Amino acid sequence: MAKLILLLLKLCILFFVVDAVFEDQVGKFDWRQQYVGKVRFSHFDTQLQSSKKVLVATESNVFAALNSRTGELFWRHVDKTGPEGNIDALLHHAQDAVLVVGNGRMLRSWDVNVGGLNWEMLLDTGSFQSACLVGQQGTVKHVAVLKKTVISVHYLSNGHQKWVENLPESETVDYQTVYSGGNGQVFVLGVVPHSHITIVVYSMEDGEIIKQVSVEAPWLSNIPASCAVVGQGTLMCVDSTTMSLNTLDLHQQLQMTQIPLQSLGLEVDPDFHPSLVSHQPNPAQKPLSEFFLQLGPERYLLLQLNNGQIVTLRDFKPALLSSFVTTGEKTVAAVMSPKNKTACSINLFSSDTGRRLLDTTLIFTVDPNGGKPERLHVQAFLKKDDSVGYRVMVQTEDHTLTFIQQPGRVMWTREEALSDVVTMEMVDLPLTGTQAELEGEFGKKADGLLSMVLKRLSSQLIMLQAWIAHLWKLFYDARKPRSQVKNEVSIENLSRDEFNLQKMMVMVTSSGKLFGIDSKTGEILWKHYLDNVPKNAAFKLMVQRTTAHFPHPPQCTLLIKDKDTGLATLHVFNPIFGRKSQVTPPALPQPILQSLLLPLMDQDYAKVLLLVDNQYKVSAFPSTKNVLQQLQETASSIFFFLIDSSQGRLSGYRLRTDLSTEQVWEVVIPTEVQKIVSVKGKRPNEHVHSQGRVMGDRSVLYKYLNPNLLAVVTESTDVHQERSFIGILLIDGVTGRIIHEAVQRKARGPVHVVHSENWVVYEYWSTKSRRNEFSVIELYEGMELYNSTVFSSLDRPHAPQVLQQSYIFPSSISTMEATLTEKGITSRHLLIGLPSGGILSLPKMFLDPRRPEIISEQSREENLIPYSPELIIRTEWFINYNQTVGRVRGIHTTPSGLESTCLVVAYGLDIYQTRVYPSKQFDVLKDDYDYMLISSVLFALFFATMISKRLAEVKLLNRAWR
Amino acid sequence: MSQRGRMPLLWLFIQAGLVLVSCFTDMETGPGAGVSTQPNGDKFKIEGRAIVPGVKTQDWVSTARVLVEGEEYVGFLRTDGSFAVNDIPSGSYVVEVVTPTYRFEPVRVDITSKGKMRARLVNYIKTSEVIRQPYPLQIRASGPHSYFMKRETWGWTDFLMNPMVMMMVLPLLIIVLLPKVVNTNDPEMRKEMEQSMNMLNPNPELPDVSELMTKLFSGSKGSSKAGSSSSSGSKGSRPAAKRR
Repeated sequence: MAKLILLLLKLCILFFVVDAVFEDQVGKFDWRQQYVGKVRFSHFDTQLQSSKKVLVATESNVFAALNSRTGELFWRHVDKTGPEGNIDALLHHAQDAVLVVGNGRMLRSWDVNVGGLNWEMLLDTGSFQSACLVGQQGTVKHVAVLKKTVISVHYLSNGHQKWVENLPESETVDYQTVYSGGNGQVFVLGVVPHSHITIVVYSMEDGEIIKQVSVEAPWLSNIPASCAVVGQGTLMCVDSTTMSLNTLDLHQQLQMTQIPLQSLGLEVDPDFHPSLVSHQPNPAQKPLSEFFLQLGPERYLLLQLNNGQIVTLRDFKPALLSSFVTTGEKTVAAVMSPKNKTACSINLFSSDTGRRLLDTTLIFTVDPNGGKPERLHVQAFLKKDDSVGYRVMVQTEDHTLTFIQQPGRVMWTREEALSDVVTMEMVDLPLTGTQAELEGEFGKKADGLLSMVLKRLSSQLIMLQAWIAHLWKLFYDARKPRSQVKNEVSIENLSRDEFNLQKMMVMVTSSGKLFGIDSKTGEILWKHYLDNVPKNAAFKLMVQRTTAHFPHPPQCTLLIKDKDTGLATLHVFNPIFGRKSQVTPPALPQPILQSLLLPLMDQDYAKVLLLVDNQYKVSAFPSTKNVLQQLQETASSIFFFLIDSSQGRLSGYRLRTDLSTEQVWEVVIPTEVQKIVSVKGKRPNEHVHSQGRVMGDRSVLYKYLNPNLLAVVTESTDVHQERSFIGILLIDGVTGRIIHEAVQRKARGPVHVVHSENWVVYEYWSTKSRRNEFSVIELYEGMELYNSTVFSSLDRPHAPQVLQQSYIFPSSISTMEATLTEKGITSRHLLIGLPSGGILSLPKMFLDPRRPEIISEQSREENLIPYSPELIIRTEWFINYNQTVGRVRGIHTTPSGLESTCLVVAYGLDIYQTRVYPSKQFDVLKDDYDYMLISSVLFALFFATMISKRLAEVKLLNRAWR
Repeated sequence: MSQRGRMPLLWLFIQAGLVLVSCFTDMETGPGAGVSTQPNGDKFKIEGRAIVPGVKTQDWVSTARVLVEGEEYVGFLRTDGSFAVNDIPSGSYVVEVVTPTYRFEPVRVDITSKGKMRARLVNYIKTSEVIRQPYPLQIRASGPHSYFMKRETWGWTDFLMNPMVMMMVLPLLIIVLLPKVVNTNDPEMRKEMEQSMNMLNPNPELPDVSELMTKLFSGSKGSSKAGSSSSSGSKGSRPAAKRR
């Protein structure tokens, strides 16, 4: 019986905390954008004229098919990150796409139409060099994979190995390219640097070496970079030292013929390494005898090899990019040349004559906030009159893909930089003019009763006006058909909504491109490409001034730090418009160790940013007199900490009035035993509503709410599963006092930590039981509060009570974050990104160290859930239902104007934005609120009263007559 | 054994692994360290098939992935629903097939250092418990994921069965039906009823809610203000006077 009651209670609790999505809410306030990453290889599916597929393989180890009409994904396959999932080559034939993955470890063939795997083959180890399709008698049936020491040929149909051969003299010869001209022979080209080229010819049938020749070429070291096979099997190489083209007939292999570029009347830009581009329309046929020679950053030549003679067909100057494309029997060359500052034109040229094809001009507008065009992917098709039409996909430096149709209509753009968001912030939108007017009324100091009244009236009038205008718009829109009514979002009409639910998402991507995205629709409102960002930069985004200080514009500062040198730059911009601010950021000549945003403001309401350099000197931004004075006054209460994980040192510093620093404390964690993995403080914008928890016996257990508390996670250097451990240290950031230390034995990382209020939740891998475990630490002051008004780290004599409990979690996790609301009244949930792409909203209630093992009257009173070791994952708790987020890397939570609502953005390969209601929508009417019912009940009651009144009157009259 | 017969290639592979492993076992310091240093030989393959009953494989394989121990190893599904995850060192792993639409139960696969495979049910609490599962894995979808909550729909039955409504309806019925049953014209009865009414209403000074409502509604309805107010006053006062 007791068990039954327990079960009932559990069910009851579950019912109350359930926070699921309703089916009709799909897409109402959430959206997802799917990305693939920076494109490395792309192929247009040409097997059918009507095919709409673009196959892309990216640097994020993603292989996907895009719809060329809309830019959406047909399907996408996300492989492991890191070198094991790295895509080395993409070969496409008919409806099969062959990928070489993981430095030649795996050969995979995909069915392009279905998006499923045909076969997968494990190859021998060895560094991958090159791969090509091998055709014979007009059909393509094999694929050849060249590695450092071995070449193997596989059947396209099932992946089975046809033959594998060790390459001769592979210790000395650096084999680099494999080529097949469709005549039953496979050519392997290798080079001994500064000596000669080695050409090995294999028979397609049995892998027998037909021929093996060496040809003198002392200047050659890299075949793919400077050579190409053209025409009937002629190896064409360009030598940048002697400025000459060298040709070698692969079938006769006598010696290289040198043709100086001067004899063709050509000159090479100094310091430019010329390169060649050839084209093989079909792997079963010979390559074209025409090829491109790039002579300078803006110069291409279309050349033709004609009986050993090189003929210049056309000189493209200036030209940015060029590409060959074949449709049917026709091959054309597409060349992009700059037109003016903001536009480029793309033209088609006949490949065998170099003549420009009529009516093939296409204008590509270069985004001034984007990067330069980097690659050209051309899709050509035959029109009804047999002329060639085409579309292009332009890839720019900022990883953007733009798909353009003639004469320049942009069909879609994909901002692939968003596949790698590093950090983000959500900024409140500015107030509208009327709202600002109202704000201004309250902001200014009073200047007389009469003027105040007048101002009040005038603003009231303005509001009335706005309201009437709004009504008029509603009425006007209602008459139009629904499809025409579109709420166009543009930067101009952006304004804060009633509950501050719509915000500007400022996203920083690793490529250095910044985005401003409307959180309601997901539309990109502005973008800004920073082109001088180092490859391995670390970013930190700070909101220095919010939109609350009208007329001062909001201001965000991005700290970009080179991880190697430590040198940093600041980019100051307006988060609403994306424009660079007029404020000139200070130059930072010294490497920066730490940055902190103080709650102090200068006279323009910009928060002060302190930067600590490697000399432990502090500089402030903005550094006006006002700021410096404020800093001097408050210097004694400004503390900061530095972490040196390589030496295992945590140290705390205090600011002196002259902006130098002094060390206050230091904690050294010996690096031989363990290393610091992460340090987490609390969110500065976090509010805690209740100072304590009411217990079952009506006493209060006060929370230990130390805003300076840091959670330091360490991992053991010993990885043996019996001896590895993870440690968690709770350190006061001001005094360096270690509040608590916990060690989880037989556990290893990756550790995910959330630190908030008075609790720390962390997740680790238990090597002993081979499962993921959650552990929660909660800190309490006890039954009475030492000083309930202010918390001071320096004056807290009693150590907090520490409670801890652990649970089993049935899945590994990718990232974790806690929900955050305006006032902190709403209960908290943990948002957990799972590798499956789901984002689980787990009530914090389940991670409560006070969950009792034996249920008692008091714990029931407190609504504590009885302890059970395993946490469950319910798909109803997935806030993103089936909209999975690939490779979740971060979850960003922001409070909205409504206490019940928290805005959530999950980012990784995809971006997903939604709202969560951890305690349900208690402060607004639910969206399934039945207006019909309530109004019909009201009307019914009204009429019932009327009727009964009438009846009563009649009755009274009758009675009076009696 | 029949399973092994079906995959001679794998068996060969495992045997090759076995030979290599036996050379390495002596110097093995720990599985983690030992595995990472060996380039090949003791890497195995987890094979299986995922089935969604009643759905064509083409319709769902493009969204599916096989995750081994989180995202540590990733495999993809072939167009017939079968899969193989390569390059896995010996150990114990949880294999999951994930799709956004269908739910698959995870399976634990143990691989010995000799390459022997065993599949069993995942039990995170009793980790050593063995309930054997077929290997190569046969993972059958247990239905579509249920992501959504049902809206509480409003129906007349819900409304009527509500205890509050019941409490309201039953007295109403009594009020309406009782006068029909009991003869109200009987003066004795009426006297009795009036007495009981007075007992029910101990404080006659308290304004009656229904009276207030009638006042309010008649006031809003009237054509002339003065007339309506006077009439409502007279109407309102009359029953009150009568009751006294």
